[in-house]
Amino acid sequence: MRNLKFDNVTMQFPRAEGGTVEVLRDITMEVEGGSFFTLLGPSGCGKSTLLNIAAGFEKPTQGSASLDAETIDRPGPDRTVIFQDVGNALFPWLNVWENVEFGLKMAKASAALRKERCDKYLELVGLSEDRGKFPFELSGGMKQRVQIARALANDPEILLMDEPFAALDAITKRYLQTEFRKIWKDTGKTILYITHDIFEALLLSTHLAVMSTGPNATIREIFKIDLQEPRLTSNRDFAAMHSTIEGIIDEEVQKSRAS
Amino acid sequence: MKYQRLSILALSAAAFIGVWWISTYVYFNPKIVVPPNLVAETLWEITRNGELFEHVWASARRVVVGYVIGAVFGIGLGTIIGLYRIAEELLEPPLQFVRNITPVAIVPLAINLFGLDEGSKYAVIVYSTIIPIIFNTAGGVGGTPQIRIRAAMCLGAGQADIFFRIVVPSAWPFIVTGLRIALGFAFMGVVAAEMIAADEGVGFMIMQSRNMFLPAQMFAGIFLLGMIGVGTDRLIRFALDRLMSRYMMTLNSDVGVT
Amino acid sequence: MNLAKIGRISLSMLLVIGVWWASSGTIFSEMIVPKPWDVMKQFVDMIESKELFVHITASFRRISVGYVLGCTIGLVLGMVMGATRVTRDILTPPIEFFRNIPPVAMVPVVISFFGIGELGKYFLISYATTIVMILNTAAGVSATPRIRVRAAQCLGADQWSIFLRVVLPSAWPYILIGLRIALGFAFTGIVASEMLAAQEGIGFLIMQSTNILEPLDMFVGFVLLGGFGLLTDQTLRAVIGKLARRHMVAIGR
Repeated sequence: MRNLKFDNVTMQFPRAEGGTVEVLRDITMEVEGGSFFTLLGPSGCGKSTLLNIAAGFEKPTQGSASLDAETIDRPGPDRTVIFQDVGNALFPWLNVWENVEFGLKMAKASAALRKERCDKYLELVGLSEDRGKFPFELSGGMKQRVQIARALANDPEILLMDEPFAALDAITKRYLQTEFRKIWKDTGKTILYITHDIFEALLLSTHLAVMSTGPNATIREIFKIDLQEPRLTSNRDFAAMHSTIEGIIDEEVQKSRAS
Repeated sequence: MKYQRLSILALSAAAFIGVWWISTYVYFNPKIVVPPNLVAETLWEITRNGELFEHVWASARRVVVGYVIGAVFGIGLGTIIGLYRIAEELLEPPLQFVRNITPVAIVPLAINLFGLDEGSKYAVIVYSTIIPIIFNTAGGVGGTPQIRIRAAMCLGAGQADIFFRIVVPSAWPFIVTGLRIALGFAFMGVVAAEMIAADEGVGFMIMQSRNMFLPAQMFAGIFLLGMIGVGTDRLIRFALDRLMSRYMMTLNSDVGVT
Repeated sequence: MNLAKIGRISLSMLLVIGVWWASSGTIFSEMIVPKPWDVMKQFVDMIESKELFVHITASFRRISVGYVLGCTIGLVLGMVMGATRVTRDILTPPIEFFRNIPPVAMVPVVISFFGIGELGKYFLISYATTIVMILNTAAGVSATPRIRVRAAQCLGADQWSIFLRVVLPSAWPYILIGLRIALGFAFTGIVASEMLAAQEGIGFLIMQSTNILEPLDMFVGFVLLGGFGLLTDQTLRAVIGKLARRHMVAIGR
C-alpha cells in the first residue's frame, strides 16, 4: 500500500483583476496507505483544491503531491475521485451497469472480469436490482451509490472523496456513511475524505486533519482518531473529541470573520 | 386520452380549412386568395401530370446534397471550435458577423460564383445549414461538463476515449438541435435560390405561378411546402427518438424554438 | 469587454480580411468578389451621396414596424396557446403548418395580395416574427413549473394574479430568447421582400447589384446586413441581460 504524500504544497491562483490569491500555503502531510484520512475545515479553506492536486487535476504552484516516490502530475485510475455533483459525474446516457463498467472498459478488461466486478460492487452498494436504470431515474442517494460502485469496480488504490454525501438528506446520509465505512473496512482502500461536518469526520475517520481558514490555508492539527468501535455519539470520548475540534473550527471561523 | 387529443388536432385542422374557405368567398377575392377546394384540385392535377414529382424531386435532391455537405463540415468545424480555444478565438468573430447575413441575401453571390445551375443551389443550402450547425456543435462540444471529463480521467480514460465516449455523447443533444434548425434553414435556402434563378423546384413553381397568374398553383406550392416541412420534421423527430433516445436524456428542455 | 478580448477579435477580423483580399482577383474574379478596400471606398461614397441613408432608413423602417407588430401579436397569441392543453392542441396545426413555410415562400402571395407597396413588407416581417414569438411564448407559458402555480394558489392568488405574477415571470426567459430569434427572422423577411419587390432597401441593394453589374454594391449590402444584424443582436442581448438577470438564473443559463 502506497502512502499519499504532500510536500510543501503551495497553490496560487491568478485573480481576475490581476495578481494572485494564495489558497494553500506550504502543506506537508502524509496519508498512510489503508487509512481513512479526513480533511476538515470551514468552507472556502481550500480542501477541494488539495484534493484536486492529489487527483492530478491541478498542479501545485510549488511543492508536489506523490504516491511514495512517484510524483502525481495527472489523473489516473489509481486515484479515483467521488464527486459531490453526482448529477454531472455520472454519464447520463449510460445505465447503472454501463456506468459501473466504464473504468473496466477503459482498462480493456475481459467481459468475464467486468461481469464479476460489476456484480460484486452493485451488490455491495445494494443496487443489483437497478442495473438497467438510467441516472435520471435514480434518487440522489442511489446516484451516489452508483458512483461509489463505479469507482470501486475499477479497483483504485486511493479514493478521493469531495463531500460526497453533503447534498443528501439526513437519513440517506446516515445510511450511506455507515455502509461506506463497512465498504472501506472490507476493501481496505486508502480514503482521502473532505468534509466540513465534524460529526461525520469522527464517525468515519482514522485520521483527521483540521485546516485553517483560507486564504493561505495550512494544516492546523492532525488528530489520530482511535475511538472505540462502533463509533457512537453517546460515547464520552467521542463527545470530548467533538468539542475539541469544534473549538478549533470556531477559532478559525472567528479569525476569518475578523479579517 | 390520446384519441381525444388527436380528434382536437383533426378538428382544428378542419376548422382552419373551413375558415380559409369561407373567408375566400366572403372577405377576400377568390382570384387572389384561392379557396381550398381549388387548391386541392390543382394539387391533384399536377400530381397526375408528373409536375409535382418533378419539382419536389428537384428541391429534395438539392436539399439532401447541400444538407449533408453542410452537416459534415459544420459538425467538423464546430467540433474543432469547441475543442480548441485558438480555433474559437479565430473563427468566432467572423462567424458571428456572417451569421447575420441571411441565406436569402447570399443567393445573388452564389449565382455569380457558380452560375445558374445546380452549383449555386448547393452553395446556398450549404451556407444555410453550416452556420447553425457550427454554432450548436461548438456549444455542445465546448460545454461538456468538466467534471464529467475528470470523472472519466479518474477511471483511466485516454484522450481518444474522452473524446468519443464523453464529449460526443454529451454534445449530441446540441448537435441534434443544430441539425433540426439547419433543416429549416435549408428549406429556406432552397426556396430562395429557386425563386430567384431556377427552372424547376418548389420555389420555382411558386414564383412561376405568380408570374403566369396561376394563383391556385401558387397556393398549391405553398401548401406543398408546408406539408413537406411538417413531414420531414416529424420524420426526423421520430428517427431521433427511436435511434438516439438515450443520448437525448442529458437535455431536458428545448429552449429556443425556431 | 477587456483589452485582450478586443485585441483577439481584431486579430481575427484582420485575418479574415486578409484572406478575403488574397482570394479576390486570384481564386475569385474581382467582378464577383471585389477587394476589401474598394468595397470600403464604395461604402464611403454611398454615405456621401446619401444613397446609403436611403437604403438603411427604408429597411430600418420596415423592420421596426414589422418586428414590433409581429412580436406583440405573437406574444398575445403565444400566451393564449400556451395557457391550456386545449388551446395548444387547437392552435398547433395551423402554427406547425405555417412555421414550416419559410417567409421567402410567402413573398409571391404577399405581392399578389398587397402589391409591391410598404404594407406587404410590413405584413411579411410581422408574419415571420409572429410565428417565432408564438412558439417561444407558448413554450415558456406551458413550461411554468406546476409547483409554482400550486404555491401561489396556496397563498390565495386568483387566476389573474397567478398569470401575471407566476406564469409571466416564469415564461420571461423563453420570451426573451424568442425576441432574439424573431429578430433574425425579421431580417430574413426584410431581405427577401426587398430583393423581390422593392425600389430601395438593403435587400434591393444586393439584388440590384447583379442587374447593374456592380459587385461593390452587393458587398456593401453584406457588410450592412452583418453589421446591423450583429449590432441589433448584441444590443438585444445586453438589454435582455439587464432585464432578466434574476429570471435567467431560474432556467440555469
